[in-house]
Amino acid sequence: MDIFIQLIYSGIALGMIYGVIAFGYQLTFATSSTLNFGQGEALMLGAMVGLTLSNLGVNYWLIIPIVCIFGLVQGSVVEYFGVRPAIKIKSEFGWIMSTIALGVIFRNLAENIWGRGTYRFQGPVADEPLKIFGANILPMEILVVIGAVAMMLMVEIFNRKSIYGKAVIATANDRDASGLMGINTSLVITFSYALSSLTACFAGVLIAPLTLAGASAGGSLGLKAFAVAIVGGLSSGFGIIVGGIILGISETLTGFYISTGYKDVPSLIILLIVLSIKPSGLFGKTTIKKV
Amino acid sequence: MLAIKDLQAGYGKVNVLKNINIEVPKNKIVTLIGANGAGKTTTLRAITGMIKSTSGHITLNGKPISQMPSYRIACLGLAHSPEGRRVFSSLTVFDNLQLGAFPRLTGSRAKGDFKGDIEKAMELFPRLKERRNQLAGTLSGGEQQMLAMARAIMLNPEIILLDEPSMGLAPILVEEVFKIISRLKSSGITMLLVEQFAVAALNVADYAYVMENGKIVVEGTADKLKNDPAIKAAYLGAH
Repeated sequence: MDIFIQLIYSGIALGMIYGVIAFGYQLTFATSSTLNFGQGEALMLGAMVGLTLSNLGVNYWLIIPIVCIFGLVQGSVVEYFGVRPAIKIKSEFGWIMSTIALGVIFRNLAENIWGRGTYRFQGPVADEPLKIFGANILPMEILVVIGAVAMMLMVEIFNRKSIYGKAVIATANDRDASGLMGINTSLVITFSYALSSLTACFAGVLIAPLTLAGASAGGSLGLKAFAVAIVGGLSSGFGIIVGGIILGISETLTGFYISTGYKDVPSLIILLIVLSIKPSGLFGKTTIKKV
Repeated sequence: MLAIKDLQAGYGKVNVLKNINIEVPKNKIVTLIGANGAGKTTTLRAITGMIKSTSGHITLNGKPISQMPSYRIACLGLAHSPEGRRVFSSLTVFDNLQLGAFPRLTGSRAKGDFKGDIEKAMELFPRLKERRNQLAGTLSGGEQQMLAMARAIMLNPEIILLDEPSMGLAPILVEEVFKIISRLKSSGITMLLVEQFAVAALNVADYAYVMENGKIVVEGTADKLKNDPAIKAAYLGAH
């Protein structure tokens, strides 16, 4: 029983990471109806840049803001070179290939800089597990959950309270009308990409002490987070948290009780079921336009 | 104030507007009337950069704005309340009004008395005051129209482009909308008003242009056009 609860704990922590990455997908989808398929690579870059800083002796708490700034820059680059040209010519699919291509380029670049191995990333808290309800939980797992929730809350508060955040929501609602309000909507879309990569890089630094950091680790995380975004709904903030936790737990349980070789299977089966029964996601809204 | 010379614009390769010339002097209401599909909305869209003009000049207070993106034109003080209202449905009434003043709140335009202007807008449109914290998407069509107009006013604009404020509204609401336009007029606003509802538009405007197939076919003072038998027959319904 203890081991079961322990698996639930790790599943939740993992799920929150998926949730944060999925949150990043939502940010760009809202403003531009496009996604950064290199999100997983952004996470990996965040972890690797963080690891390098950590090896240089930089304090973990100082690494976080530096990596976040790195994420802002990385996301802007992806938007400027990969997405903007496609949006300009109103291409429906151009951005898919270009964001994947940029992701591959980033991965190759990272593999050449850091090699293909995986490295230990020292977290800021003790490695000794705590006992909660009789089961072990790592302090880092608690930190992951807190960090993930804090990140999403901060973006939510920014969107709802600040005039710039409202400009982001307005652009998501109606891009042309936002332009008429004096909002530079191209800049808003660049910003949403920057913010989306920031959340991914932040997630990378959060998860790296629990797993291992490696230049090839991004792809599958990005893909599973995409499954979370689809399961939870691309428009529902609550949905990705629930979706993330469902997928995270199903993964840790399968990995322990069946085989680690099959741990990715249940999440993808859940994805297929949701797509066939409720394509807008468990919590997604089908929008109704008033004319 | 706003001068449009030989404007041509369209969608893709189809040229809709053929050499449009319009002038809107300060503190005047100029109306652009005509049947469905005449090119009225396209004209407004070309003015505010929602579509790029292919030739011609547009100047605002002498400053060329033809090739500017929409947001920069708005920052210069040209407010456009677009066809179909286009309010931000998942934001509240208050947020919508705040966004109308976006250039003022972000330093691209003189801030002025933002709080006072919000109160003034709410007084002009009392329905909005009651619904201040309601999501714009839940408002009725008439209320959304009021919101779209109030949002345009919040820019503290030099000039307002108002596209079909009467569209899809019940007669009583159309009357209310036009009452508000004439109240704005007495406060000295400059406006380019696009309307299909020609009688009401001519009653409130100083000067009018009649559009047909992408061309201006008649222009003159509103009073003159109101009494022109040909116009009456074609647009006002000859009773």
